[in-house]
Amino acid sequence: MRFSIFLISFVALAQSAKFEPPRQADGHPDLQGVWRNASIVAAFNVEGQEAFYNEPGGKSVIVDPPDGKLPYLPAALKQANENHVHRELDPTGHCHTHGVPRLLVPPFPIEIVEDSNDVVLLFETEHSLRIIPLDGSPHPKLYRSWNGDSRGHWEGDTLVVDVAGFNGRTWLDQAGNIVDRNEHVVERFTMTARDTIAYEARVDDPTIYAKPWTMRIPLRRQPAGTELIEYDCIEGERSEIHYAGPPKK
Amino acid sequence: MPARRKSRPIFFAVFVSAVCVRAADLRGIWMADKNVDASLERAHVIVDPPDGKIPYKSEAIAKQKQNFENHATADPETRCFQPGVPRAAYVPSPFQIFQNDRAVYMVYQDVHAYRIVYLDRAEHNEGLGYAMGDSRGHWEGDTLVADVTSFSDATWLDAAGDYHSDELHVIERYTRTGPDTMTYEATIEDPKVFSRPWTIRLPLRLQRGVQIVEDECEEGPNARRHHVPLFRRAP
Repeated sequence: MRFSIFLISFVALAQSAKFEPPRQADGHPDLQGVWRNASIVAAFNVEGQEAFYNEPGGKSVIVDPPDGKLPYLPAALKQANENHVHRELDPTGHCHTHGVPRLLVPPFPIEIVEDSNDVVLLFETEHSLRIIPLDGSPHPKLYRSWNGDSRGHWEGDTLVVDVAGFNGRTWLDQAGNIVDRNEHVVERFTMTARDTIAYEARVDDPTIYAKPWTMRIPLRRQPAGTELIEYDCIEGERSEIHYAGPPKK
Repeated sequence: MPARRKSRPIFFAVFVSAVCVRAADLRGIWMADKNVDASLERAHVIVDPPDGKIPYKSEAIAKQKQNFENHATADPETRCFQPGVPRAAYVPSPFQIFQNDRAVYMVYQDVHAYRIVYLDRAEHNEGLGYAMGDSRGHWEGDTLVADVTSFSDATWLDAAGDYHSDELHVIERYTRTGPDTMTYEATIEDPKVFSRPWTIRLPLRLQRGVQIVEDECEEGPNARRHHVPLFRRAP
């Protein structure tokens, strides 16, 4: 008897603790709004780092494997270490879009637009964008790009996005961690409170990593009225030369 | 306070549209006819003034001629700049419209530019110098009217070297005219460059069975700008 009362109150407590997200007319959670990563260290190093110079410190955002380290294959680790020495080669420093999951980590806002057909992610950084169809269509064949091709579906109240077709030229962070063309990502967006989305990305890349790994960051809702502003990178005079070179005579 | 006086009718329009008007559904992937971007004058899309010519101020014509002569290298589009407004609507590249209560979202394939046309606030952010401008919208019946300001002078109006200054002000009108068609109208005002406001009007066509794909510029001295073609979806 005493045990069953305990059980009932436990269940009641668990139920009241379960967050009920705002919903669209079709019943799926309404993730719309302006959001921003709250684990900024991930922009600098997904494995975490000590604070130094003008970079913040913090713990690894990798939750699997449990040691928080990327499970590199030996040759890939060598490449990542080399990148770390030559961080001027970071593609985002040359105005390129970040790839996935890196687009989610910079300290810039992200607007989510959602209807029954698509979820659209508009990123302030590099005015990047991802259109995520929800119609069950497959990835196109022979498609390669910086941000890959995203297809989404709902699993309960979680938006699950499968991303493939990468060109392999993106980095994971400013520390030089890498992926290649065989990268495959499964992302999970779950609203856990009115102002929080738990974002999870499981990254599989058999030519870079010994096994798949998973990172998790919280996205925080930005104050009402927050607007994304225009991010000009190529338009900047000094970057222009990377793109067109000097005018030819 | 002229700025304040100017915003009052916009406030009123926002209020009226919020209370009285249900938004039209503009969603879909749209594209203009291919030849418009080459030259607005030659494409015969200028409906005002009636002679179909851009009303340049006399002192502004020389720069247009110079742009035209150097367009192969001087066109900001060839350098992967964001296309600007109104040009984004008729570059030879599709764009997709998304909508919610807060805004209408113009998502362009061209260099993955986008604009957020806010419906829930009337005050512009002034003096930002955006390539794509600062957009505030309201509904007039089934027409989305977007008021766009705060431009930089870094974009052109077409590939023929027609240009504007940072005093550009554009009023766009998007009106769906059929299941597969929309009329796009833009009134262009720029007291530094033009002697009077002028208006273009052109059809946009719904693109079925395609998707917006990534259009990322490649770097290097041999990089050549090209528009990523329409991408057919898997059947």
